Amino acid sequence: MAEYSCLIVEDSPMMRQLLVFALARVKNLRVTEADDGVDGLRKLASARYDIIVTDINMPIMDGLKLVKRVRSDPVHKDTPIIIITTEGSHEDRQRALQLGANAYITKPIQAPQVIATVKELLKIE
Amino acid sequence: MTRVKHSPRGLFAAAAGVVRSATPGEAGRSDRARDFEAMVNDKKGRRKGSSDAPPPDLRKERDELLQSISRGTRLTDELERLESRLRDLEAENAGLRAKVEADSAVRELLDKIDRLERDKRELLSRFHAAEAASTEVSARVQEIEAEFANLANLFVASNQLHGSLSPRGVMRRIKEVLAQLVGAERYCLYLASPDKSELVPIAFEGMSGEQVGSVAAGEGRVGEVFKSGEARVEEDKDPSLGSFEAPAAVVPLSVDEQRVGVIAIFSTLSQKKRFDTIDFELFKLLGQHAAAALVSASLFVQAERKFPGLEAFIDLSV
Repeated sequence: MAEYSCLIVEDSPMMRQLLVFALARVKNLRVTEADDGVDGLRKLASARYDIIVTDINMPIMDGLKLVKRVRSDPVHKDTPIIIITTEGSHEDRQRALQLGANAYITKPIQAPQVIATVKELLKIE
Repeated sequence: MTRVKHSPRGLFAAAAGVVRSATPGEAGRSDRARDFEAMVNDKKGRRKGSSDAPPPDLRKERDELLQSISRGTRLTDELERLESRLRDLEAENAGLRAKVEADSAVRELLDKIDRLERDKRELLSRFHAAEAASTEVSARVQEIEAEFANLANLFVASNQLHGSLSPRGVMRRIKEVLAQLVGAERYCLYLASPDKSELVPIAFEGMSGEQVGSVAAGEGRVGEVFKSGEARVEEDKDPSLGSFEAPAAVVPLSVDEQRVGVIAIFSTLSQKKRFDTIDFELFKLLGQHAAAALVSASLFVQAERKFPGLEAFIDLSV
């Protein structure tokens, strides 16, 4: 059975906890947490991840910058990225998708939707 | 030669050959009787020419022989016709036999088809039953997954509310629960004045300070909920269209069964079109835990962030 790794980049501890709970339902998925974009890049430099879930609005480095940096990284340039946005941030969402994000989830997040999106991008049954 | 040996007509022909041995090699089996007669006549002529007519006994014998040969020829023809008919009947019989055998094979095939149809029906029935069971299980799994997600939300919310001992931290977490889990866009947390006559806005989001002011207990939707202690949630209306005058949800806050304030959600994010079961559970959780977390954090600050000594917990086991 293949093992997958997921990096969650989210500044809100509550949202991180919710995402970890949700993704615990996906078999063989190992989840790593990062507080913001900089922390996320640090973790991406030290390990390879199969999927990245990131919030857009974060201090220090936001999700848009993170997506841009990931897409220019030879190791993770093809890694699927899911962005978490609010419904109002339509422009941010479009920008993230243009920069190379693969999917988006709007807040308030629903665990089944997070699970389904991750499974779809990882092509897990 | 072979034909002479096996065919009755051949036998008669042979007999005719014996009789007309004076002209061996002459062909034409069907004319043999006439040939024989001609030969006899020829003899007769010779006899006539040379001597007297044949004696009557010889003539009689000749006639008998001629009749016999003629009868044999007829019988031969009849026999040949019967042989032909026999062959036809045998061929017909073989055909019928083949047809019967074919019919039998068809019957067997039809029986087999029946059996297979029965098997198919049974398998289809079992398949449909399994499919129904599978659908039921899938639906149940989805329900359980949704239930799990709800429980996870409640756990996380509760964990967050009680995860800080700073009033500001608690307030930030309450706002986070409202925004991230409930999907509230414009909301306000009011706390009651010491005499419980007024509700004072402590924290709000999505509105200006001028819009939010103190509310007298019993006044408007917010004041009514505080006074009655019963939450009011607009279940049938789109909560994203709520307003300050007609909030989407108002939830009383209690500590140890004393009402201490209210959370008013005036409107939700535009994608939040209705409140779900989990939202009602979150409202209950906030109503029972938000104020308690705030009060605990405030008392902890008042105690200069000192944890109570053991003496504070003695005799609690009673």
